[in-house]
Amino acid sequence: MDDMEDTTIFSTLKSFKSLISGPDHSLLETEPAYGRSDLQKLYTKRVELEEAAERVRSHTSLLQLTQEKQQMELSHKRARIELEKEAHSSSRDLQREIDRNRELLLKIRRLEEKEEKANQALNEQMENNKALKRNLEELHKKANEKDRKLTEADQMISELKDETRRLNQKIQIQESKFSTQNLEIQALQEQLDVQRKYELPCTQTHTELERRLALQEQDSVIVRNMKSEMVRLPELEREIKRLREENAFLRETKENNSLLKEETEGLRKKLERVERVMEEKLKAELEKEVNSYTHTEDSLTLSDLSREVIQIQQRELNLKQQNYTLNSSIRSVEKARAELLPEIAQMRAKAQEEQKKRENQDSLVRRMQKRVLLLTKERDGMRAILESYDSELATSEYSPQLMFRVKEAEDMLQKVQAHNTEMEVRTTLPIMHTKSFLQIPALGQEMTFYLYTCMCLFFRQKIEELEAERQRLEEQNNILEMRLERHNLQGDYDPVKTKVIHLQMNPTSIAKQQHADEVEQLRLECQLLRDRIRKIEAGGGVTTDDTTLIIPPSQEILDLRKQMESAELKNQRLKEVFQKKIQEFRTACYVLTGYQIDITVENQYRLTSVYAEHMEDSLLFKSTGPVGSGSMQLLETDFSRTLTGLVDLHLFHQKSIPVFLSAVTIELFSRQTVT
Amino acid sequence: MSKTLKGITLKGSAELVAEFFSFGINSILYQRGIYPAETFTRVTQYDMSLQLTTDAKLKNYLTNVISQLKEWLFDCTVQKLVVVITCLETNEVLERWQFDIECDKTAKEGSAPREKSIKAIQEEIRSVIRQITATVTFLPLLETACAFDLLIYTDKDLEVPEQWEESGPQLIDQSEEVRLRSFTTTIHKVNSMVAYKRTNST
Repeated sequence: MDDMEDTTIFSTLKSFKSLISGPDHSLLETEPAYGRSDLQKLYTKRVELEEAAERVRSHTSLLQLTQEKQQMELSHKRARIELEKEAHSSSRDLQREIDRNRELLLKIRRLEEKEEKANQALNEQMENNKALKRNLEELHKKANEKDRKLTEADQMISELKDETRRLNQKIQIQESKFSTQNLEIQALQEQLDVQRKYELPCTQTHTELERRLALQEQDSVIVRNMKSEMVRLPELEREIKRLREENAFLRETKENNSLLKEETEGLRKKLERVERVMEEKLKAELEKEVNSYTHTEDSLTLSDLSREVIQIQQRELNLKQQNYTLNSSIRSVEKARAELLPEIAQMRAKAQEEQKKRENQDSLVRRMQKRVLLLTKERDGMRAILESYDSELATSEYSPQLMFRVKEAEDMLQKVQAHNTEMEVRTTLPIMHTKSFLQIPALGQEMTFYLYTCMCLFFRQKIEELEAERQRLEEQNNILEMRLERHNLQGDYDPVKTKVIHLQMNPTSIAKQQHADEVEQLRLECQLLRDRIRKIEAGGGVTTDDTTLIIPPSQEILDLRKQMESAELKNQRLKEVFQKKIQEFRTACYVLTGYQIDITVENQYRLTSVYAEHMEDSLLFKSTGPVGSGSMQLLETDFSRTLTGLVDLHLFHQKSIPVFLSAVTIELFSRQTVT
Repeated sequence: MSKTLKGITLKGSAELVAEFFSFGINSILYQRGIYPAETFTRVTQYDMSLQLTTDAKLKNYLTNVISQLKEWLFDCTVQKLVVVITCLETNEVLERWQFDIECDKTAKEGSAPREKSIKAIQEEIRSVIRQITATVTFLPLLETACAFDLLIYTDKDLEVPEQWEESGPQLIDQSEEVRLRSFTTTIHKVNSMVAYKRTNST
């Protein structure tokens, strides 16, 4: 760089020098041609010098610029180096930060994983919570049910307690009743005993009388039996008579029977004989006939016999022929009959059909006759209605319609007549005239007929409407009659025509009053009972200040109460007396022995001396051994520690408590008197 | 007296009808158990055995009403006789035995007796009482204690005697009615019917 600068500087110097030399040469070479004045030469030199100066200036500026450029480049390089350093450092920073980013990302991932785990753990715990809550609710429900059951059980218990109370009360009542009854029984037994004492002498006579009664009864029984037997006697006699008569009768009948039997046997034998005789007779007669025949035949000759035989044979043949002819005729007759039977059936069917047709036609004829009658009646009715309508002069709804129709018909008539007259005018006179004449009367008839039919239709409609209304009214009438009947059955009445009365003192009113009275009585009783129960529950004992007592207080109860009261009084008095006595005794002991003996605890006795210096100075003795034996032991107290000498002497050596106690009093007394 | 003569007079007819009512009401009271069965005794009437009460108060009451009714029958001023059976606890009317009396007003005191045999009338009365006994089979049971009352429907202008008072018709709320047989003496015609309170189970 510097070399380049140096070289440029040298190159510029060289060029400057060359320049300086050059223009002189050039100036000199060029200028002489002219030989102009020195001013021009000076001017041209000045111009050249200025130009050279400008060139130098430009060179210097160039040099400065190049120096500046070099400095700039240096600074640029330095800056670049610094930038590169900074870039390096920034790249390092970048890398560090990238590393940090990675680390942070890793941390984030780990934290996210931890979060997920924590969420899962949360969800699980929520589910656990829910399950626990459900369990809680179930447990609450169970607890509620148990509470309900408990309350129910409590109610049951209270009810049972009430029942037990009631039962106890009943028991008490019944026990009282029982006791009263026992008392009554005892009274009655006493009465019985008293009466028995009076009865002993009576029983003997009673037994004698009973014996006599028994005997008499037996006698009476015997007498009754005898009476009954006696009563039977005449009957028996009657029976005997009857039986005897029967016997006689039977015997007679028996004889008659035997006689009759003999007769029948005789008659049978006769019958048999007669029959045999008859048979013999018959046989004899037959033989006679045969004999007669044989006799007659003997008299006759053979020819006669043959003739007779021939005759008989001819008769036989004839008879046979007759038989055959008869048979054939029978067959033919039968055939004819068979042929005739279907024909007869057909004829009968035809006859029946024709009968039916005739009947149908008869019925049709009747119907037609009826229709004819109806139609004639209708027509008559219509005529009558028409006449009635015609006769009515008052304004009705129908006359305007009629009038309107009449007017229409008249208009039609007039139109037709006009038409006709036109036709007459147009056509030839005679023929049209006759035709129109013919038409007019026909039209007139048609008009009247049309009127008539219109009115008939109108009236028919009216009649139908009226008939419908009539039927409706009839139905309404029937319904109203049914309702009336129903009301009549139920007991309704017309207040205008009838009234209902009954006796004032009738069973229903009496019964209602009784019922009401009973109810009132029961209510009052209930009230009283409730009050009584309240008092009993509040008082806790049997009250005697009620006006109506259910259980009358018996003598025993009163006696017992008195006894109780007296016993209580006695107790109280005894207690008072005991108290007084004890007090006296204690004071006497205190004064005489000098010790106040208190029983603090069971079997422990605290003795306080009269002459004690302090209030707390006391001796404690405990009773050992069985109660009442009297063996005592001294217990350690503060005061007893001050008396060890006396204790040793009197208790351990002499083993005497009274001596010890008296020694203690002497000691204390001496202390007191001295001080 | 009129019964032994031929034909029925107004007085005789009134007596027959009053007698029928007396026995009929007793039968109703016995059948429906308004009074205990042991307070009734058996009598023979109309060729059948009927129950008559022995309770003195009830007898007294019935004779009072029947005697007054006989007078009104003679005057032809009575229209109906109703036996109303009420439940004591709820004061509801449970049953109504209604007898409509139609009087032939042309039969005055002195007019000729009508021809109808006593036996025929008694036969008709017998069938009516038998029917009353038979209806008990389908009437609903009277489970609560009940009392009865006799109401008489008369003409509006009739003078109400002492001890009698006007009352309501004592109709049954939601009733079923059954028409029974009737009998007639040719002067008085008696139609019988019974209305009872519809039970909810039917």
